[in-house]
Amino acid sequence: MTKVLLIEDDDETAGEITAELADRGFDVEWSSNGLDGLAKAHDLRPDAMIVDRLLPGMDGLTVIESLRKEQVRTPVLVLSALGAVDDRVRGLRMGGDDYLTKPFAVVELVARIEALLRRPPETRETTLRVGQLELDLIERTAKRGERRIDLLPREFRLLEYMMRRSDQLLTRAMLLEEVWNYKFVPATNLVDVHMGRVRHKVDGPDEAPMIHNVRGAGFILRAVS
Amino acid sequence: MQFMRSNTFHWAAALAALFAAFVTILFGFIYFKIDDYLIARSDGMITTQVNFFAALPPDRRISALDDHNRQDSRGVHFAGIFDANGNRIAGNIARLPGDLAAGAGVKSVRMAQANDKEPGAPLVRAVARSLDHGHVLVVGRNVDETREISRVVGGTLALGLLPAFCFWLLAGAWLSVRAQRRVEDVNLRVQRIIAGDLRERLPHRNIDEPFSRLAAIVNGMLDELETTINALAGVGNDIAHDLRTPLTRARLTLERGRTNATTLEQLQEAADKAIAGIDQSLSIVTALLRLAEIENSRRSSAFGNVELGEMLSEVCDMYEPIAEDKQVALSVGTSGTLFVRGDRDLLLEAVANLVDNAIKFTPRSGRVELELLRGEGETILRVTDTGPGISDQEHEAVLRRFYRSDKIRNTPGVGLGLNLVSAIVKLHGFRLIIHSGPGGRVEIICPDERAGRT
Repeated sequence: MTKVLLIEDDDETAGEITAELADRGFDVEWSSNGLDGLAKAHDLRPDAMIVDRLLPGMDGLTVIESLRKEQVRTPVLVLSALGAVDDRVRGLRMGGDDYLTKPFAVVELVARIEALLRRPPETRETTLRVGQLELDLIERTAKRGERRIDLLPREFRLLEYMMRRSDQLLTRAMLLEEVWNYKFVPATNLVDVHMGRVRHKVDGPDEAPMIHNVRGAGFILRAVS
Repeated sequence: MQFMRSNTFHWAAALAALFAAFVTILFGFIYFKIDDYLIARSDGMITTQVNFFAALPPDRRISALDDHNRQDSRGVHFAGIFDANGNRIAGNIARLPGDLAAGAGVKSVRMAQANDKEPGAPLVRAVARSLDHGHVLVVGRNVDETREISRVVGGTLALGLLPAFCFWLLAGAWLSVRAQRRVEDVNLRVQRIIAGDLRERLPHRNIDEPFSRLAAIVNGMLDELETTINALAGVGNDIAHDLRTPLTRARLTLERGRTNATTLEQLQEAADKAIAGIDQSLSIVTALLRLAEIENSRRSSAFGNVELGEMLSEVCDMYEPIAEDKQVALSVGTSGTLFVRGDRDLLLEAVANLVDNAIKFTPRSGRVELELLRGEGETILRVTDTGPGISDQEHEAVLRRFYRSDKIRNTPGVGLGLNLVSAIVKLHGFRLIIHSGPGGRVEIICPDERAGRT
């Protein structure tokens, strides 16, 4: 079972997160302060950690910093009520792997934790495959079965990201950050429009859909079973 | 008697005292001058008389002397002839004063008249002259009358000065009471302002008087404050209103779902709708917080060189599908590689916001252009569109939070976009220029970094 260590001082938030993650089959360990959290991170060797930025005893960033100094590479998701760009940059520089600003949707948190746990391995493969879908990274071409798919560069980038993370829920915010490098949420639902374009090309009219819209959360690319 | 403790009254009293002292000194000076003059005059007179008597032949001298004394009704004349032993031969002087040397000048001595009933000898200016046979001629004049003058002067002083002093004190009291009343009045009104009546103003007359000018200055400040506070209250109302709309919708949806839903799917649908409404409220709060955050931050150390052309292309790439869906032509025109110093993420956000707005407000088959130009010592980032543009009247309003032009009331959006752009632009020390319609044209003017400035 996947072990997740949650270091969060607010009981209620911690309770919600724990319940949601437990529902999804995670083994959650909760710690309410920095020092205790650091000790647990050593003892339990969790697969991933969720660390609040402001903690009693020891600041969240300090916890991460000291873990990294001891060569502990556990992926960490930083939670914070502060949304400042500088703060985010600091959080990531200190060794956090992802950053989430409060208030957040639980779906978003779970999607990000799963993304951290299933980080795609660095491969030398030049072709990505998900089911019938094939992406040639050298030739910059895409195929579904025998059908050639013409993609614009930006569409290629989006599809590549999704194929590297197939079967994972990708939220709009994650896509904005990872594919377009946007640190903010634009007024218009840009992601949906782009996704609509790609989906239109990937899922032909007579084909079973591969790109799925998860209501209120994001998108998943899945091989047709 | 509170006025007696007031500063104004103290000043008035001090001034009155100063004035009294000055007048006293002045009167004293006048008195001494007059005294000097009178004595000099009487000395001159005595000298003339003594010379006159001395020049007369001895037989006529005595009768002339008696005549002289007889003519004096006030009894100020002193004249007499004494023999060598100091015995009186003629005149009205009781005794020859011992300290009066013959032949010397006029001096003050005490001497009494022979028929004087009053005891004590008055002070007399007198002169002595030697005659034949060791006789001595003495002529004098009682100068006690100068004391009378001093009495008159003193009386006048008291008569003039006392009322003046009283007048000063009264004036001081009046001034201090008046000042106190005005302070009280101001205090009363200020208390009302503190209590929340922002329309209250301090009293002032249209005259060039310090107090009135002060009141006018404070009133000017109050005008500004009132405008600002009203604007803030307006923002608060707008926020409340903009938050309430989606929340009301969410509540209604939940309520209906709870009553009407018969299947899990129906309930889930209602919940999804409600979540969407709450998300919208949250996004408003997030946008506000972000705005505050940018407005309160300073030029950050995270500033670097940002290549604007490439950034514009990126924004264009991002928005192209949306523009296409709306059949709006989106194009980028850049001239060369232009760098500015700034936070790339924030600048991207600002430009994205401008483009977002431009596409939103441009009708079908319109055009949105992104341009990068070089001005004089500045780089200009321009976004033009063929939408309705922003009218002169709306110039200030568009930078107000939550302002949504009437023309676009039904276009979705939070109404904070331009605020955000403005805040980002200000943070960088750039300028945001909104041109008047028709057609939208917004420019971000980035002045070149001067050498030596970081």
